[in-house]
Parts: sequence; structure tokens; C-alpha cells
Amino acid sequence: MPSEKQSNSRVNQILRSALDASLIPFLAIVTAVVLGGIIILSVGGNPLLAYSGMLEGSLGSKKALSETAVWASPYIFAGLAVALAFKGGLFNIGAEGQLAVGAVFSALIGYALPGWLGFEIPAFIHVTLAILIGMITGGIWAGIVGALKAYTGGHEVINTIMMNYIALNTTSFLLNGVMKDHSPTNASARTPLIAEGARLPVMFEGLRIHWGFVLALLVAFLIWWILNKTTLGFEIRTVGLNPDAAKYAGINVKRTIIITMMLSGMLAGLAGAIEVTGLNYRHELGFSIGYGYDAIAIALLGKSHPLGIVLASLLFAIMRNGATRMQFLTQLPVDLISMLQALILLFVAADAIVRYIYRIKAKGERVVLTRGWGG
Amino acid sequence: MKKLYFIMAMLIVASMILTACGGAASEADCAKPEVFCVGLVTDVGKVNDKSFNQSAWEGVQKSQADGVADVVQFIETADAKDYAKNIATFGDAGYDVIVTVGFNLGEATFAAGAAYPNVKFIGVDQFQAWQFSEDTADDSANVTGLGFPEDNAGFLVGALAAMMSETHKLGAVCGTDVVPPVWRFGEGYKAGAAYADGMNGTTTEVFVVYHSDVGFDKTFTDPEWGAQTAKSMMDQGADAIFGCGGLTGNGAITAAAQAGKYAIGVDADQYLTLPEAAPRMLSSAMKLITPGVAELAAAAKDGSIVPGNFLGTAGYAPFHDLDGEVSAEIKAEMEKINAGLLDGSIKTGVSPVKP
Repeated sequence: MPSEKQSNSRVNQILRSALDASLIPFLAIVTAVVLGGIIILSVGGNPLLAYSGMLEGSLGSKKALSETAVWASPYIFAGLAVALAFKGGLFNIGAEGQLAVGAVFSALIGYALPGWLGFEIPAFIHVTLAILIGMITGGIWAGIVGALKAYTGGHEVINTIMMNYIALNTTSFLLNGVMKDHSPTNASARTPLIAEGARLPVMFEGLRIHWGFVLALLVAFLIWWILNKTTLGFEIRTVGLNPDAAKYAGINVKRTIIITMMLSGMLAGLAGAIEVTGLNYRHELGFSIGYGYDAIAIALLGKSHPLGIVLASLLFAIMRNGATRMQFLTQLPVDLISMLQALILLFVAADAIVRYIYRIKAKGERVVLTRGWGG
Repeated sequence: MKKLYFIMAMLIVASMILTACGGAASEADCAKPEVFCVGLVTDVGKVNDKSFNQSAWEGVQKSQADGVADVVQFIETADAKDYAKNIATFGDAGYDVIVTVGFNLGEATFAAGAAYPNVKFIGVDQFQAWQFSEDTADDSANVTGLGFPEDNAGFLVGALAAMMSETHKLGAVCGTDVVPPVWRFGEGYKAGAAYADGMNGTTTEVFVVYHSDVGFDKTFTDPEWGAQTAKSMMDQGADAIFGCGGLTGNGAITAAAQAGKYAIGVDADQYLTLPEAAPRMLSSAMKLITPGVAELAAAAKDGSIVPGNFLGTAGYAPFHDLDGEVSAEIKAEMEKINAGLLDGSIKTGVSPVKP
């Protein structure tokens, strides 16, 4: 039957393109792991013990798997945030700040809302509100940068970095001031615990894995759907590839830039909200630090594709979570993990090196991540 | 192509060995009762930070050198969300003692105490408040917080500064006195100077300024204010400055060193952690974490460890570059004062919290 044949070839086509797209990241990871092993050897460590420790610590038991999911959850959201901006031709370096804003407001709703209203809120509504507010505030924070870009041409790279400083210092101010947990035993800069009703339930008793992980996977699918199946997604991608062409095609470029940044910020805000409602049950200075920057690496490694982001997040989660066991077994410094991540990123970014080592010819056009400074 | 085959072969071998070797070498031993294992979890930081983490790790290493511990191991925390997991890694491996470093790990340590009832926990600089609450007084039979008599440490450097000062004017720039340890450092410094005066018949003027005029977000992180305050003290004739209070204190210490006065550090031997002030670093008011950890580990082994708050000892750091300037009499006097504080014949008279 012709139709079956057609669908078969379509499946083949998708598989092939997926293989092509994941070849370079995969080889980059392999190369980085081998190179990392050589470095471990050169400092007198045992690379096999180190890597097996990392895998055992991240995948070797129920608890280990649960912790890997806990690590992956914010990574998926934040990675999607950066990737979505990439698709729209924008470089969102501000996920770090948007995440902090989302976390602060999510925590605020979590602990203060019942007091403001004067009554207990049903758990389902309370946790939904806490997450939504975290998401929206993150979106507004990034939307400011989008508006600056759209109406003044202010470059989003500079502005998101600046907004990071504002966000992190404001967070510090709030956590040390009005939002500080004033219980007598507390000296840290942190909010009170959020209400029971504002907490995402854990999936299995005794493990820390929470429903935020499932939500992350659902959102990843949703972003794929928006990007590929909706008009908005088409507009975002078109503006990302060529804003001039998009303008002539009748797309409102300014509006699209703002929406892209807002969506991106909402995803980053979600990362913060999930950490608060699913894991820490409060926000504290020093929590969730650096995830926004890891997210850039994840977006690059995942080639800005939602499925790629999920896989890259899992990889980073495996490395971060397995680090404890690796360290325990080998006494190698944890910095090794950061070095591995940097190596992977280096080989993904400079794919010419990977192509040279493995003698792969460049096929088709390169994925355009951003339009650079002139954009 | 040759290169490619070589790399492929290497990868295949590597992956084969990777999957083959799962078990760990040092793990099995610690579960045995006759093997005494001590693990250490750092706060976000490293075991070579020349401060709390390093001192605590040296204490663990000392317990191994003393023959108390058979196996010692550390895990450096890279992210606050890993506190519980890092502690559990030792707990699951059957370690007998787990040392956690720093105030921030207090809650995770307390929770782990309940999860691993057979493990003894030593929390460095973790005040065990449960001991003083009627509801929770019996909660944790296996967590011991290692605290320090900060007033003794301040007393030592106060006495030293008073003996070294030529102008007989001293300064101390501290964080907020609402935090009890900071108060004890500052007041101990005053008391130490007064003690030296009583001994030598001198009259020393001591300026102690607490940065209590700002919030918690600023009081320990204001090096400019610290430097300014130290300068105004030096303008009034002070020739030794004690900095007690994080970066604020460090600002004061650095300003004193740059002006060529005596600089005095806090907590750890800051000669090692503040290189810009090192040439003029007279001493530091130290919490002796290394012997404290070793002592508690030994107590855990022979079963004499007591849950709750354990008071370690305070001390003063070596004079390093300024060793030649400190006379033999003063050195002898310092040793006498230290001995007096240790055996209780000298009391600082400082109240534990600001009255």
C-alpha cells in the first residue's frame, strides 16, 4: 500500500534526521569523556572507577535515579528557556535571574498568601498559584528585555546580563529583609517554609523525585508542539532565521520578539518555581545558583530541540548527581565534572574538531543559533 | 582511517571495562564493626579553603594519624541541594562518624541524625538548639555540635594587642553584636586588653565598633565601611586593629595592614587567607577546629561522646612575619594567659549574649 510506504519513509526520514542531529553532540560527549579520562589518569586517578562511580551514583539505585530526576527538572525548564530564545534568534543569558525571580515570587505566594487572604487555600489551587506566579514573574522579567530589544534595539545579551545582577541583588535584599524567615533559630537569608498546600507532592514516599519532573517532560512536549505546530511557533522560528524576511512576510517582528522573551522567561521562572514548590519548600540565598548558565550549555548541546534538551538535561543531571559517588570512591575533585561539561560544550560548539577527528563531512546547512551582535 | 580505528577500539575497550567493573574498593570495609570510618562533608567549598573546611578535614586526618580512624574520606559539596545526599553517601556506606562543616549544614545533619541512628554526627559550628527546647530535648541522641568559646579567642588577641601597642590604643571592627559569637569576640577583646593592663600597669584605650546600624544583608559584607572605620580608629591613634565579621572585618584588617599597623584576624589563621594583609598580620583569634574534630572523633570511638553542644577550645595564630617583633616576654606571657584560660584560672567575664 502506497500510504504505508509513505509513512514508513517518513518515519525513516525523521529517524535519519534525528540521528544526523545527534551525531555531533554524541561524538562530542564521547570525545570529552575520553579526554576527561586521560586527564584523570594524568592526575593519578582511576578513570574507570571515576566514571563507573558517576554512573552508579546517578543510575545505580532507586534513590540515585530519583536524585538524577531532581537535578534534571530545573535543567529541563531552564534549558528550554534558553533554547526557545535561540529559536527566536535571541540569546537569553538571563535565565539565571529569571529563575531567581520565579523562585522568590513562588516562595512568597507559597508562604504568605494564606496570611493575606486570612484562610487556608485548597492545596491544588495553592500549589498551582505558586507555580503560575513564579512562571509569570519570570516572564515579565524577561519581557522587559524583549521590549527593550523590540522598541529601542537594546541588545538582549547585555540587558539580560544586567537584569541578572538586578535580580540576584534584589533577591538577596528581599531574603535578608522583608522576606526573611524570622524564626529565632534562623540566621540564614531565606524565606519561611511554604505552606503544606503549596508543595508539589513527591511521586514515591521516601524519595525526593516530585511531579515537577513529569511537568518538565510535558512542558518540553508542549514547547515542541508550539514551535512546530502553531502559527506562533512558525513566527518565532521565522523571526529567528531572518527578521527582515519575517517582516516582509507580514509577521509583527517586535511583538514576536517580546513574546519569545516572555515565553523564555516563563520557562526559566518555572525552573525556579519548581525548585521551591517541589524540592526546597523555601527559597534561600545560594540555592539554585548557576542553573541559568548551565542551561545555556544544555541548550547548545541539545541543539535547541526540546527532545535534545531533555536528553542533555539528563546527561548534566547524571554528571552533577553522580559527582558525589565519584568523589567518594576516587577522592577526585568535583571540579572534574565542570571540566567535563566544559569539554563537551567545547566540542559541540567547535564541531569542526569533532568532524576532523571522526572524519565526518559536513552535511546540509548549519543550525543558526543566534544572529549575533548585528541582529 | 587508522586514527579512527584506534579511537574506536579505545572506546570499545573503555566501555567494556566500564560496564564490567561496578563495585568499589573501600566501600565494603566500613560496614564491619571493627573498621572505624570517619567521613567529612564540606559546606559549598573545598577542603583546601584554608578555613573551616580545611581545618575540619585536618582534624579528620589527625584522627587517622592518631590511630582512631581506619578509613577517612571527604565529599566536597558543590550545590546546597546535595547536603542530604552527600551525608547519606557516608551513612549508606556504613561510616561510624560523619563530620559536617559549617552552620548551613545544621538542618541536614540533624535530619540525618534521625535517619542514621547508629552513626555519630559531628557538626562543626552548628549550635544544637534542640537541646534547650522541651519538645525536642530527647530528639537527637547522636548529633554533637562543635562550638567554640569566642570570648577566649578575643581575650587572647586583645591581651596580645595591648602588650604590643605603643600608643596604648586598640581598635576592633566587628559585624553586628546581635550575633552572639561576634559579641563574644568583641567583648573578649576588650577584656583581654584590660587583663594585660592589669598585669603591666598600663592604660589601654579600646575602641570596639559593631556594624549594627545596618541589616543582616550588609553587616558582614561591607569591606568599605570596615576600612573606613579602621582608618578613623587609626587616626585617633590606634595601632592594632582586630577585624571580626566576615568581609567587613577583612576590610578593616586590610586597611590596618596597608597603614603599617598591626592587623589581627578572626576564626582561622587569616595570615593564610588574606595575603594582602599577611605582612602585617600579628595573629588571629582562632577557633581550634582541628583538635576539636579529632577529639570528638576519638570520643565517638570510645563511646564517651555526648550529644548536644560541645565546647572546643580557642587559640591564637602564630605571628608569622612579625615573629621577630614579638618579644620573648610577651610570647611567654601569651602562653601563660592561654594556659590560664584553658584551666579556667582566667575568666573573660563576658556574658554569652549581649545583655
